[in-house]
Amino acid sequence: MENSGAQVAQEIQWIKRAQQGEPEAFGPLVQKHQPRVFSLVYHLVRRRDEVEDLAQEIFIKAFRAIRSYNFQSSFATWLSRIATNHCYDFLRHERASRVSFYWQMGENSQQELEANAESQPEHVLDHEEQTVLKDLVTKLLDRAPENDRKILLLKELQDYSVEEIAEILNLKPTTVKVRLHRARKRMLEDLRQWREENKGHAV
Amino acid sequence: MRCNDIRERLVDLWEGEGTVEVRQHLTQCAACAGYYRDLRLVRAGLRLWKREEAPEPTLGFAGRLVRQLGEMSKAPSVADFFEQVGRRFVYATLVLTFLALLALALPSTGPVRGLSAADIQMPGQEASLAYSDPMGETGLQESPDLAPVEASAPAVTNEVK
Repeated sequence: MENSGAQVAQEIQWIKRAQQGEPEAFGPLVQKHQPRVFSLVYHLVRRRDEVEDLAQEIFIKAFRAIRSYNFQSSFATWLSRIATNHCYDFLRHERASRVSFYWQMGENSQQELEANAESQPEHVLDHEEQTVLKDLVTKLLDRAPENDRKILLLKELQDYSVEEIAEILNLKPTTVKVRLHRARKRMLEDLRQWREENKGHAV
Repeated sequence: MRCNDIRERLVDLWEGEGTVEVRQHLTQCAACAGYYRDLRLVRAGLRLWKREEAPEPTLGFAGRLVRQLGEMSKAPSVADFFEQVGRRFVYATLVLTFLALLALALPSTGPVRGLSAADIQMPGQEASLAYSDPMGETGLQESPDLAPVEASAPAVTNEVK
């Protein structure tokens, strides 16, 4: 506890020095928060090759805007907000088109995958099945409206609490809950609808 | 319980398996069982993504970033340069516009402006001047005709001198 208090005090010192324009004081902040930023960027953008460049841009943006940080929320939350917005700006410009492997599977393989996903923990699925399943979810996420998708990703992939998501996205916790429910439901509806549309296309 | 309520509950729970009532319904309703299967499929896909580890920063990431920030804060950027030049240009334009407006707003005669070409009256223009002369020095108020105008012309010319 004492250690954590000292760490917080130390972080405040770094932030204050960075606010006075000292890039050297920003270094430890980068060191401390880079795992979180890298993970967030990767899960939001889902492109391994873009992560470092985007993380760099996010930290530069944060340094330039650090005077506006007023210690109301935690620095991690403030940084996550910048990262989320930056990733979505990037995604708006670079909509990657992906092949939908799930729909290229035969009906039997689809059923097998579904059965495996139900009966086994995800990590027991073989590599191909994992790829297919991840691709399917990616497609479903891409179909979701941007605001719902942000919430879904922050909750499901980053494990943020509803309160933290509310802080990052400047929303009320009740709004986050409602949107999370809606986003999950929409994914299931999309999957069902998609399955209907692709019934004839399965190989 | 209706199918819609069951599905709402399943989505609400998301991670859980539902109450006895829900589980019982799932054994009897193929449509809801299919819905639950989809839910687990999506959930499994999301978990896979969650387990996927982000790439590590390359060696010296933070150091490079700090150096870059240091250089950025030292050297004035191209944007700053254009901002400065642009600002000067705007100031110059404003000053010129102000002068132009001032020149247009100033009266063409009067004490502010001093004498101008307009002040030098041509003989033909004297009539109106003489007619509006408040002192009545020309004595022409009562009969404003052209004849006395010619007579007063030299007086104006003298004034100019």
